[in-house]
Amino acid sequence: MSKIVILGAGISGHVAATNLRRKLSKQHEVVVVSPNSNYQWVPSNIWVGIGRMKSEKILFPLAPLYKKKGIGFKQAKAISFHPEGDTTEPKPYVLSEYVAGNNKGQQEKITYDYLINATGPKLNFEATEGLIPGENKTYSVCTYTHADHAWHGLIDVIQQMKKGKKAKILIGTGHAKSTCQGAAFEYILNVENELRRHKVRDMAEVTWISNEYQLGDFGMDGMLMSYGSMTMKSHEMIEMIFEDRDIKWILGAGVNKIEDGVAHYENLEGEHKSETYDFAMLIPSFSGHGFKAYDKNDNDITEKLFRGFMVVDADYTPKPYEEWSVRDWPETYQNPSYNNIFAPGIAFAPPHSISKPRKSKNGTDITPAPPRTGMPSGITAKLVADNIIDTIKGGKESLHHKGSMGNMGAACIASAGYGLTKGSGVSITTYPIVPDYEKYPKTQGRQLGKTFGEIGLAGHWLKLALHHAFIYKAKMKPFWWLIPE
Amino acid sequence: MTQRISKYQRFKMMNPVIQFFKFIYLSIKIMIVVAGGHGGTRKVN
Repeated sequence: MSKIVILGAGISGHVAATNLRRKLSKQHEVVVVSPNSNYQWVPSNIWVGIGRMKSEKILFPLAPLYKKKGIGFKQAKAISFHPEGDTTEPKPYVLSEYVAGNNKGQQEKITYDYLINATGPKLNFEATEGLIPGENKTYSVCTYTHADHAWHGLIDVIQQMKKGKKAKILIGTGHAKSTCQGAAFEYILNVENELRRHKVRDMAEVTWISNEYQLGDFGMDGMLMSYGSMTMKSHEMIEMIFEDRDIKWILGAGVNKIEDGVAHYENLEGEHKSETYDFAMLIPSFSGHGFKAYDKNDNDITEKLFRGFMVVDADYTPKPYEEWSVRDWPETYQNPSYNNIFAPGIAFAPPHSISKPRKSKNGTDITPAPPRTGMPSGITAKLVADNIIDTIKGGKESLHHKGSMGNMGAACIASAGYGLTKGSGVSITTYPIVPDYEKYPKTQGRQLGKTFGEIGLAGHWLKLALHHAFIYKAKMKPFWWLIPE
Repeated sequence: MTQRISKYQRFKMMNPVIQFFKFIYLSIKIMIVVAGGHGGTRKVN
């Protein structure tokens, strides 16, 4: 009998837990440890943030589902990792603290045979002074509660515009090393669409602010893509969309301080500038959770497990951009020191960024961090679960399932406006996620036919279809496993 | 505002009939790309 503990119940943790439970017999124990009581389909937060979808539509409580399906659930947060146990507990464990229920505040050593760290990122708002969701007129759409607040902030500004006040709206990244530009991109297009729907578009100045060097970088170094019968660069496509919608842009901006209605930033020229606004949605930087790890004698071995995020089978050797290789990226998400620990999704430490690193003239790093949200999170979680299943069933370690982001496709279906007949979407599919310049030297590291963009109503329908399909899948309804990650 | 998308292009982008077929086409194409498998990048000796 094996016990598999999964830390986190986001996209990655939930995918791992559901697949393990489906494929392993009941003699094996699957336990999810998460401080959150609800599962949330994060990509639809965008629609919550514009008031077109209630947050209840994108979440459901985990405990009843897990009880029904035979998955253990502890509403607790991880505190420290003990991969060798300690002097009193011979088995490896994670020290966790309950955050709800009768056990609230109690700590427990949760032992495991296999550990999947799917804790995702810490939303590191503190890294930018004054960037606090709901304060200083700044908002976030990173969680459903943040998105709810953002909608209340946005509708207030819309009401003011209806009374004749001109307003400035600022959307983008709130730190020099933020990632998830795609979410901010979706939000700015949805907000712009809502302003037109409320007939106040001419009262608003809408501005994109980002740490990207060019529009359409998305933390993936941009891409060369097929668009209809043309081949164009992603920055050309996004420029076309922004110009067509009268959205201004500020690029290479490392936002470092927020005051009430003012975003201060440094650009790549080393200039310190500021931008005023009446409503802002700025994505914070992501960081690891600051976990500590100890060996059986209680010595600190944090560096064996973490470098911010969790250390996995990546090549972390520091090297210049010109020497980066697609082979630097992990394939199995297994920790090299402890082969029963894995970190899929956002929880693994990337070897480096995907976008070319850039510094301002003052030496400040202004580079998007690599995105691992959504589809890659699900795919990597499933392959980790499959390797653990094969290992348990085969009786010896199996790492047959591999999934490097350098050999994996991803679709970013970006909503560009909500509405069954008036909606729009920008669908960008890229293969591979991390460019492979050896395999595709003439097309910027990606396969052209599989790297393409489309704009139109179909994109909105697609995103809506994915919303319903993935919530159906997450609820483990009949034949849920037929829906790919 | 600079009109970068022509009226004809916009008509095609928002026409429900055209977009219905585009939806089917996109669904299949995306499925092929993302569900078409993934793997490693390192050579095994």
